[in-house]
Amino acid sequence: MIEIEINGNVVKAKAGEMLIQVTDREGISVPRFCYHKKLSVVASCRMCLVDVEGAPKPQPACSTPVNEGMKVHTQNDKAKASQKAVMEFLLINHPLDCPICDQGGECELQDVAVEYGSDISRFSESKRIVPDGDIGALIQADMTRCIHCTRCVRFGLEIAGMMEMGGTGRGEHLKIEPFLKEGIQSELSGNMIDVCPVGALTSKPFRYELRSWQMHSMPNIARHDLVGSNLFVQTYKGKVKRVVSADNDLINETWISDRDRFSYEGLTHKNRLLEPQIKVQGQWQQVSWKVALDYAVKGLNSHVLKHQKVNQLGGLASSTATMEEFYLLKKILTEVGCDNIDHRLNVKNLDNVITLDSNIKLGALEKIDYALIVGANIRLEQPMINHRLRKATKKGADIDELNVMAFDFNHPLDTKNITAPNKIAPTLAGVLKSIMISNTQELPDYLLAVEVGEVANNIAAKLLNSRSSVIILGEHIINNEDASTIANLITQIAQNTNSKTLNLSITANTMSANWVGFVPQNSGMNVNTMLASDMRGFILLDIYPQYDFHDLETAVKAFTKDDTFVISLNSFKDDIVAGYSNVILPIASVYETSGTQLNINNDMQSYTAAVKAPDEVKPAWKVLKVMADLLALPSFHYADSAQVLAEIFHQPQTKHTHDENVNLTSKHHGISIIWQNSPYSIDAVLRHSNALQKTKIGQMNSAYMNQASAETLGLSADDKYLGVPVVITNTVADDCVFINANQAVNTQGQT
Amino acid sequence: MISIDAKKQIDAWILKYPKDRQSSAVMQALKIVQAENKNRLSADTIQAVADYLDMPGIAVQEVATFYENYNHKKVGKHVIRFCHNISCMLNGADDLILHLENKLGVKTGEVTPDGLISAKKVECLGACVGAPMFQINDEYFENLTADKIDQIVDNLK
Ligand code: SF4
Ligand code: FES
Ligand code: FES
Repeated sequence: MIEIEINGNVVKAKAGEMLIQVTDREGISVPRFCYHKKLSVVASCRMCLVDVEGAPKPQPACSTPVNEGMKVHTQNDKAKASQKAVMEFLLINHPLDCPICDQGGECELQDVAVEYGSDISRFSESKRIVPDGDIGALIQADMTRCIHCTRCVRFGLEIAGMMEMGGTGRGEHLKIEPFLKEGIQSELSGNMIDVCPVGALTSKPFRYELRSWQMHSMPNIARHDLVGSNLFVQTYKGKVKRVVSADNDLINETWISDRDRFSYEGLTHKNRLLEPQIKVQGQWQQVSWKVALDYAVKGLNSHVLKHQKVNQLGGLASSTATMEEFYLLKKILTEVGCDNIDHRLNVKNLDNVITLDSNIKLGALEKIDYALIVGANIRLEQPMINHRLRKATKKGADIDELNVMAFDFNHPLDTKNITAPNKIAPTLAGVLKSIMISNTQELPDYLLAVEVGEVANNIAAKLLNSRSSVIILGEHIINNEDASTIANLITQIAQNTNSKTLNLSITANTMSANWVGFVPQNSGMNVNTMLASDMRGFILLDIYPQYDFHDLETAVKAFTKDDTFVISLNSFKDDIVAGYSNVILPIASVYETSGTQLNINNDMQSYTAAVKAPDEVKPAWKVLKVMADLLALPSFHYADSAQVLAEIFHQPQTKHTHDENVNLTSKHHGISIIWQNSPYSIDAVLRHSNALQKTKIGQMNSAYMNQASAETLGLSADDKYLGVPVVITNTVADDCVFINANQAVNTQGQT
Repeated sequence: MISIDAKKQIDAWILKYPKDRQSSAVMQALKIVQAENKNRLSADTIQAVADYLDMPGIAVQEVATFYENYNHKKVGKHVIRFCHNISCMLNGADDLILHLENKLGVKTGEVTPDGLISAKKVECLGACVGAPMFQINDEYFENLTADKIDQIVDNLK
């Protein structure tokens, strides 16, 4: 620590840090444009000039390292004169029409100009105009307003990992623009809107909607991945109008993914379910909540409870529910004596499931020196986790993958190991064997016959030599024939090499479901058994079979049986749901309910509702509470969801016991299909968000396979496979079809 | 998009830089690729250079639009680069550029109908002592006057 003097006050600083970091920490305002705390320093705008005693000329605070005894003046005549001069230059070519600019009222240039600019422009020549291209569905460009701070350029290069914006031309003709005609494509692109200090890059869906001061800004939590990024939901007259990022260095730093930023658009889709409805003699009727809930409870009573058929009742929930909702549904079911509870809708074989704990925090991820990725396209599935890994690679970390397809990473991979699904377990077994041999440990029987190939030896050596490593298991393994074996091998490899593990085979709020134990109780049935049994009743929480189940037909058949009474809680209309349900209760979607998300750091992040749900829509926790009351269940006296959470805290956290079996004898031959909903169609609100669907990621819809697999399946490049267009590429492993399915709902319906 | 011959030439330049710094050869690569594509660069050729040097397309575009020696529009067989920076401007470059435009019958930035000549305005070519000046292909012509320009242009075949 050293001491420096700023405006006559002595402050402490770290030797070598930049002056602006000290003034920011001390709350001393220094104007800036090019400087951004998470981007490299270029010192190109000169707005931050301050007077440093002893220096002949004013110095840029953003790139002047502090020294012991340094004396700085941020507000004296010399400093002010230079700030004023720079401001005048910056405004030469900048339009002075803030009233018609979308950034007006939240513009750094406007703020700084008010403070440092002159009242009257001395510049009477004509200003330059920059024609704009269309740069995509999410970002509106208005490049006449650009002040060439290059924050967006550096954001692309340094954070998004793909340089999309650049400065073309020179001098008076310098323009910031993307090269590709398809426009901006990064999954983090919306952050450019936040970093742009002026109105050059603004949110396209929000264009000309409102002024920032007209909206309420409420802190909230993103719900589409395992990170739970912190954000602000900005609302006006009870509608979500925009989402921007909030700072939280332990979670999302200052970035959010496009998925989290733009999903709110789905909330106003015309497909929203707005009123409770009941099906009477095959006809849907819109009814009041009272009628609907009475009908639901009566149905449950007459179909299930009255006949002591509670073992023929099932409760299922999708991963989007809040922790409180998982808990309440489970509580209702257990209190009526039903043990059939599950959320693992897309797992084919529930005797072969992944059980793997995550034991590394996001912040630690960027400090690892080696990562092994098994079956994940992290960049698109968990963008903020990928961002941390990318930061690690920038500090020299090596990353290897065992993936079924060569995905488009935005960081270097040491070795790409494109591995057939049925070769992943054997390869990992080879890794474990190699490690145990190096450690001169006694080999368990199941490893004796395992062959150790070069790939396995390499990975083993890297794990053994690394100081801090992590093994990441992704969602492509969920339905692998060897899923549990793979997870157990990873656990053992990690134990033997002191590695951390990260389980990305789950997403959204699945961590909460596991925490409250939303799984079969005692000897209750799991989801697949329920679907195969003769059930008389279901309570389904936010489920859309078409997208959520690995096997649509079986699910729909189970729900559609004549004497099966189905209560569905959904946010969006869905024909299939309407087909089998007896009651549909409209529930709140993201930002419309209070609740809790458990993220990969094990942070329990609670949020309140930013807007009231539209029309008759109610938060699911309330619906479940009232249903419990109507069922005459005793202990459901909650005034708000926080009381539910408080009760959850008093429950013992569910501990999972799992077998540690490694079974390498599975003789799976033939082609494995890995089906994945494309990143912008993983949940209902996303499937209804307009702008996201127009992006390149939103349009992803391909069944990838190599030539050999295509021949085996008798397919060619013009065909469709399971309804998805075939793409033949040698980047896919043998014996594997990797499907990225676009499940978007017609997005013309935004209201 | 890039011929084998051009690749060989680019490779020779790449070798002059440290390993993994092949992007340093970008200016030469653009020049080589431009030469074999009718003396101009298109989005496709720029992307091809980017791919070859493992750079983002926009990074190559930045270089290609920064320097006047890269052409993005159709050019003539002979390219006249007329300096209009300070020294040349003070010595009457603006009037001479007008004269040249009249003589050619096309504006700077355009190509004569026979495809023989195109002219463009460029920044200082480092020949201020001989201002006003222009460059035709690789040759400098200094201390220009209207007559001298007529004579030089008439001699272009
Ligand atoms: S578009 Fe915005 S962020 Fe990008 S250079 Fe211009 S002013 Fe800076
Ligand atoms: S903020 Fe310091 S020069 Fe731009
Ligand atoms: S200004 Fe024309 S050559 Fe320098």
